[in-house]
Amino acid sequence: MTPPLKTLELRELSVHYGKLQALRGVDLALSAGEVLILAGPNGAGKSTLIKYLLGLVKPSAGALYVDGARRGVDDGLKRDLGYLPESVAFAENLDGEQVLRFFARARGVPRQRVHQVLARVGLLHAARRRVRGYSRGMRQRLGLGVAILSEPRLLILDEPTGGLDQEGLEVLWSVLAEWRAADRLVLMATHDLTLVERRVDRMCLLEGGSVRALDTPTRLRELAALPVRVSFRLADPRDGVEALVAQARGFADGGEVALREDMLSVEVPPARLLPLLQLHMDLGKLVQGVRVEEPGLDAVYDHLLEEAT
Amino acid sequence: MGRVALALVHQELLERTRDRWVLVISGLFALLASGVSLYGRSEELTATRLIGPSLVTLASLFVPLVALILGHDAVVGERERNTLGLLLSLPVRRFEVILAKFVGRLLALGGAIGLGLGAAVLFASAENRAVLLQLILPTLLLGAAFLSVGVLLSTLVSRQLTSASLVVATWFLLVFFYDLGLLGLMVVTDGQVAPETISTLVTVNPAGLFRLEMMQRFAGPDVLEGLGVGVAPPGSAATIGLWTLWILAPVASSSLILTLKKVT
Repeated sequence: MTPPLKTLELRELSVHYGKLQALRGVDLALSAGEVLILAGPNGAGKSTLIKYLLGLVKPSAGALYVDGARRGVDDGLKRDLGYLPESVAFAENLDGEQVLRFFARARGVPRQRVHQVLARVGLLHAARRRVRGYSRGMRQRLGLGVAILSEPRLLILDEPTGGLDQEGLEVLWSVLAEWRAADRLVLMATHDLTLVERRVDRMCLLEGGSVRALDTPTRLRELAALPVRVSFRLADPRDGVEALVAQARGFADGGEVALREDMLSVEVPPARLLPLLQLHMDLGKLVQGVRVEEPGLDAVYDHLLEEAT
Repeated sequence: MGRVALALVHQELLERTRDRWVLVISGLFALLASGVSLYGRSEELTATRLIGPSLVTLASLFVPLVALILGHDAVVGERERNTLGLLLSLPVRRFEVILAKFVGRLLALGGAIGLGLGAAVLFASAENRAVLLQLILPTLLLGAAFLSVGVLLSTLVSRQLTSASLVVATWFLLVFFYDLGLLGLMVVTDGQVAPETISTLVTVNPAGLFRLEMMQRFAGPDVLEGLGVGVAPPGSAATIGLWTLWILAPVASSSLILTLKKVT
């Protein structure tokens, strides 16, 4: 029996489509218990990277290391991976159960697992309904069911949030949590950064086929050093507000300061956050409450991308 | 064939038996074949004089159409549904995918042909049944050849609509216009084209080969003499070679194209 997959590492991976270079010397490692997202504009190389891991494209240079050993994308790795394609549709003449049964037969998964998976993705009620009658979200859930059917060590998800309603998103989050808890690996390409940022461990930003940034959301946020928005709820907007606004402007360092009814919002550089909060402590009765909003991962993404170009 | 390919054969068969177009055309073929059989029985005509040639004509029209329809979305359908990458991410070789798709669809086609000719055999008189049974294997070969072409077309294009248009065009070209074209050629050249050339041109088309073979079996070697066309049947080895080529070459080409083509 082969030991469970623990790490995947791409070293100097390059892929060409004729004269077009889709990936340029990509270095990327993925470890057990980690959820890593691939982000980047269209044409950045996300799909090519996924296709390489699925064994659909051949590299022009570089290699894949599995658990430290140099290895191509072989049948052994293919047996250990589950894949959800973007906007997957499936054969419309078949019902959901028949679709899953095919993949169960192909992967040697026991038949009873099909019903477990249908229940897991919330499609048990539609198991005998033809895929033709499925909504986009239901097809996406079925695709997720196909991906997790064999409980693969490596889960590759391409835009998994597309078409999912809140219930579907909850299913996706629970799958990510389960894979992380079971020390498995998840690689996910997505544009919904805000939606997924609390559920991922690291983000890899690709641009022009190269890795522009690769770190945890927290570290990337620090790297971007984008302003933090602090909102003070004032006890009485008429009482000493001018002085407060003036003080806030001093901290904002050119960032936005806005007073709307009883709410004073200030954008401050991350380094000024603590002194500003100290001001709130000093003001005592003037301020009733305070809320700190860090920039979303999408803003961090935009900033890093702008810097890269 | 490995486990994935066998599962795919099963899946293809299941999916095709639920395809309404295949069901409608197969049903119509069965209905017309039964009608021919019943008419022949009521007229007390022998199978070789009426039923056989009529069924050959019917089969040469319907079977290529069903086969092309069956094959037209084999690869491009997966491509459009975004499942081709998913399928190829399974531990399976690309030629196995093509082979499994061909075999699964051929089984479905076999069912459709069995239904149509089976109905004809069922309604035929006892003495005609043995003659009609001779149609089954050549009809299957005809279907397999056109199915193979359909699979090839589905591998070449990137949109299912294009593939559908191409299979309809192929059907018209090989089943309808090809023979008309040959007749036109003879008229235009005032019969100057050598009979051997015409003979070769007829037999390189699978629909022509099927019609020629079966017509000669049912109506005798002089069947086309009345039209002024002296078409000699190819020998057994040539016939087997032609069928093998028509069935295997497009499937092999599909495998090669799928191996070389970028999967989107």
